[in-house]
Amino acid sequence: MMDAGRHPNIEVLTNSELVRFEGRAGNFRATVKKYPRYVDEALCTGCGQCVNDCPVIVPNEFEVGMGARKAIYSPFPQAVPNTYIIDRVNCLNDQFLVCTNCQKSCDRDAIRYDDIGEEIELHVGAVVVATGFDVYEASRIPSYGYGLYHNVLTNMELERVLNASGPTRGHIVRPSDHKVPKKIAFIQCVGSRGEGKEAGCEYCSRFCCMNAVKDCMLVKQHEPDIEELLLFYIDLRAAGKGFEEFYQRSLDMPELKYIRGRPSKIMEDPETKDIFVYVEDVETGKVDKIRVSMAILSAGAVAAAANPDLANVLGIELDENGFFEVETRYGSPLHTARQGVYICGCAAGVNDVSDSVSQGSGAAAEAEKFIEKIPVETEPVEIKELDTSGPPKVGVFLCHCGINIAGVLDIDSLKEYAESIPDVAYVENNLFLCSDEGQRLMQNKVVEHGLNRVVAAACTPRTHEPVFQESCEQIGLNPYLFEMVNVRDQCSWVHTGVPEIATEKAKEMIKLGVAKARHLQPLYRKSIPVNQSALIIGGGVAGMAAALELDAQGMKVYLIEKEGRLGGRLNNLTRVYPANLSAFELARVMVEKVKASRVEAMAGTEVTGITGYVGNFDVATTNGNFKVGTIVLATGAGIYEPKDEFGYGKFDNVITNQELEDILHDTKGKIQIHGDTPKNVVFIQCVGSRDAETNPGCSRYCCPTTIKQAIRLRESGVNVTVLHRDMRTVGAKAEEHYRRARELGVKFLRYTPQRLPLVTGKDNRATSVEILELALDRILDVDTDYVVLAAGMVPNEASTAKLQDILKVPRGADGFFMERHAKLGPVETTSEGVFLAGCVSGPKDIADSLAQGSAAAAKVASIISRDTVNLEPTTCIIEPSLCRACSMCVDMCEYHAPSLVDIAPGLRAAQINQALCKGCGTCASWCPTGAIVALHFTDQQINSMLDALLLDRV
Amino acid sequence: MAVRTQQAKKKTKKEFIPNIVVFACNWCSYAGADNAGTNRMQHSPHFRVIRTMCSGRVTPGFVLKAFKLGADGVLVSGCHFGDCHYIFGNYKAVEQFEKTKGLVKTLGLDLKRVRLEWVSAAEGVRWANLIDEFVGQIAELGPSPLNHKPKYG
Repeated sequence: MMDAGRHPNIEVLTNSELVRFEGRAGNFRATVKKYPRYVDEALCTGCGQCVNDCPVIVPNEFEVGMGARKAIYSPFPQAVPNTYIIDRVNCLNDQFLVCTNCQKSCDRDAIRYDDIGEEIELHVGAVVVATGFDVYEASRIPSYGYGLYHNVLTNMELERVLNASGPTRGHIVRPSDHKVPKKIAFIQCVGSRGEGKEAGCEYCSRFCCMNAVKDCMLVKQHEPDIEELLLFYIDLRAAGKGFEEFYQRSLDMPELKYIRGRPSKIMEDPETKDIFVYVEDVETGKVDKIRVSMAILSAGAVAAAANPDLANVLGIELDENGFFEVETRYGSPLHTARQGVYICGCAAGVNDVSDSVSQGSGAAAEAEKFIEKIPVETEPVEIKELDTSGPPKVGVFLCHCGINIAGVLDIDSLKEYAESIPDVAYVENNLFLCSDEGQRLMQNKVVEHGLNRVVAAACTPRTHEPVFQESCEQIGLNPYLFEMVNVRDQCSWVHTGVPEIATEKAKEMIKLGVAKARHLQPLYRKSIPVNQSALIIGGGVAGMAAALELDAQGMKVYLIEKEGRLGGRLNNLTRVYPANLSAFELARVMVEKVKASRVEAMAGTEVTGITGYVGNFDVATTNGNFKVGTIVLATGAGIYEPKDEFGYGKFDNVITNQELEDILHDTKGKIQIHGDTPKNVVFIQCVGSRDAETNPGCSRYCCPTTIKQAIRLRESGVNVTVLHRDMRTVGAKAEEHYRRARELGVKFLRYTPQRLPLVTGKDNRATSVEILELALDRILDVDTDYVVLAAGMVPNEASTAKLQDILKVPRGADGFFMERHAKLGPVETTSEGVFLAGCVSGPKDIADSLAQGSAAAAKVASIISRDTVNLEPTTCIIEPSLCRACSMCVDMCEYHAPSLVDIAPGLRAAQINQALCKGCGTCASWCPTGAIVALHFTDQQINSMLDALLLDRV
Repeated sequence: MAVRTQQAKKKTKKEFIPNIVVFACNWCSYAGADNAGTNRMQHSPHFRVIRTMCSGRVTPGFVLKAFKLGADGVLVSGCHFGDCHYIFGNYKAVEQFEKTKGLVKTLGLDLKRVRLEWVSAAEGVRWANLIDEFVGQIAELGPSPLNHKPKYG
């Protein structure tokens, strides 16, 4: 949010609405109504003085009504822009009342009671709709008593309660008596997966299962003495990267009990205000009335109320659920029926965070095709560099991070301590140092007090150092004179139970930071030319989508595919859910588009080696060598090959879902397996998924795939039984298909991993499957002509290992490539200029893979659309006078950065190519003469930290 | 988790508080320590982290200096083999560490006081367990003979 707010090419219009829209892609005219804020954005500094003086107290929407705000307020702590707004409905300044408290208190004279807003005309090339969702109104289900009973909250309310800066400061209390609850019930699918009007929407809201599991773990962490957490669910849908593993970890919590069953009603005990949950446990068939202290309703996601108006203005359609209709013709989830208008995130249906982020980047790539290229940076502003040559004057800034830090560490004591450290000239603390306000505070104090080193005691430098460094740069302080101390992730979060010791530790950490800061030296970034081209490895849907996207933007693209033809897994599929597109057709269209484009597609080609760095990679393939600026890994995943599970290999008629797909493909619609039309088919789910030994993760694609295949078979008159652990039909229209399958008479029976279905048969044919029906507690024999195993998605070991070896991109515990950030960087890797798309980072369906292809294209374009790339200056350098040319560094560096050169006639010394040096500093640790300096991690800096730590303990 | 916190509390009563320096590489181990934070994996607070870009950066000199100044234990932590952001930096760290161990032995210190470990960015749990275990081990060994001002609490 902050990055968007401070980007020179992004203008953020809040409190605004699109009212008129005309034209066509590349040339739209949009009229935006900017509603009055009653506070001048240019003048307001967000100091908050007006809030103190405002006499009106109303419920705070951001705290879901559980906290209070004033009539003049900032919507939430990290709001961008950090400008206050007056709620004129509740304000006491109107034609009858004349309160002017805020106006009087404002030093900047920013209050405008007569603000009438404005209409802004925008000339744009494309539009991205990212308007999100609304939360289902839980009071619409009267039998759950939300709004009637005190101690029934929604998941959104619990999120605020759990939040350290929320209305209860992170303490979990019952609204009725403010006591810590002993037993909490979580009720899933409130407003989701409903049937009939009362129950809400028919689709699955997707996020609520993981949200509830996470909340259970957080509740336990906040209140360790909690006695029982009951989670009532239909299917536990942990379908996403790492989600299943998270769910499995939650099973180790003795307090947490999962109960399969949807409560019929909730009642309140009028005396104690306890809650009774009436539920049938469908695994035991027992109907029960369970007393809990508090109930949390997992309210689902519904289409935003404003969607119809916006759709009307944009001239696009809504689907039957009120979300924006996706034009499924392209297979991608980003297109609307109107060219130049794209959708992402929950505007088009329910998505989780990482998919929304991928779609956001993907939509940006789509939009870029219609945008005239303008330079990314605006005119460089000449900033005069501050003189930092004098003795160190260190400023220490302490962040509260709400109560993430301040709730554990004693900030006053830290402040007092920091002031006592030699060379510290100024100490300040702030609620959110990374907020606009916090950054401005830091900048002002540096200038005001003439500070020449800055230490921030806050969160991790891995995410926030760039933010702080940029703020330093804006005022002319060299960003490498900034040092970050991680007192949140590595102190307050992990030593929560021992606040005094944690505070002492934080003091020492600050002392170390200051010790290093004293010896920091200004460093200057260099820029190097970029080869404006991209290599895409893997010609499946994700790779082709990325290639086409980049080609449409006029970029040079090499697309290489190991197999003899493009198309990837699409070549082996028949039809693609949810739109029932022909996979063959989709593949054909994409392959033809690639062939018609300028993309240099090379089938039957493999990468043999890659060297270089962002902007300048040298690629060696079996089909020639070339140079590119960026690389996208889109090599997909493998399908688990069953060993001997469920009679696979023993019985001829036990096949995998992929083999069934081939059969359905070959028979062109007529259902015949090896010449016979089968009468009974049994599917077994989670083969090679959700199993600690073979693949701990959920493969996500198999449930919807089984539904698709089951419907296909059922429609031809086959009796279909699906044996599953949880039906995880998440994703667009998957739940609707699941419902349809049930309506068609597909039978669904649940099994548990403790009691796997047993496939029995004679000779080499399976004839029946034994399964323990849980509610009946009886073993059922299901006759079968075919058993289909839903094989999971696993990393493509050979290609993934090889690429990891070549590119050094890390892989996660599941064997898939690891993203830079599981939520916020789903297509980026830790290596600059190397991106991921599709199943190479974890199981995905075709729509998600396409979105990721587009997302990777957007990331690639952000690098190769420029002529140069900035290099980090934190490399190693060699002091030639100390070098005796032993060539140890030359021999050891994997990047070939050092080389021996003649520095004077007859005098040789090593020199480091800074474009090649990655700054690991290994050569500096090996250099026998100490000639190599690892900038920003120098011997002097590290030694001074050791001195500070060990010679002078607190 | 609660048990661990209690253990940490108990230690503050009258037991020896070890003075431990941890060198963590930026890409794996430091990120793993952050991951422990994100997952709120509580662990012993009796260590101080110095971030380096790579475990290969840690010269024997840094470790010896730490011991000379009275550290009771030193942990060097990098990426697992094959995971190194700099390809083979951790292999170089192993070579350096062999020299380090030789010198630590020469100093007459117990080799249990110094350790080289691998923690990946995803291994917050491993980080927390490793720290608890190493702190426990050093606490058992007691103050280093070179630590002239051991701390008890």
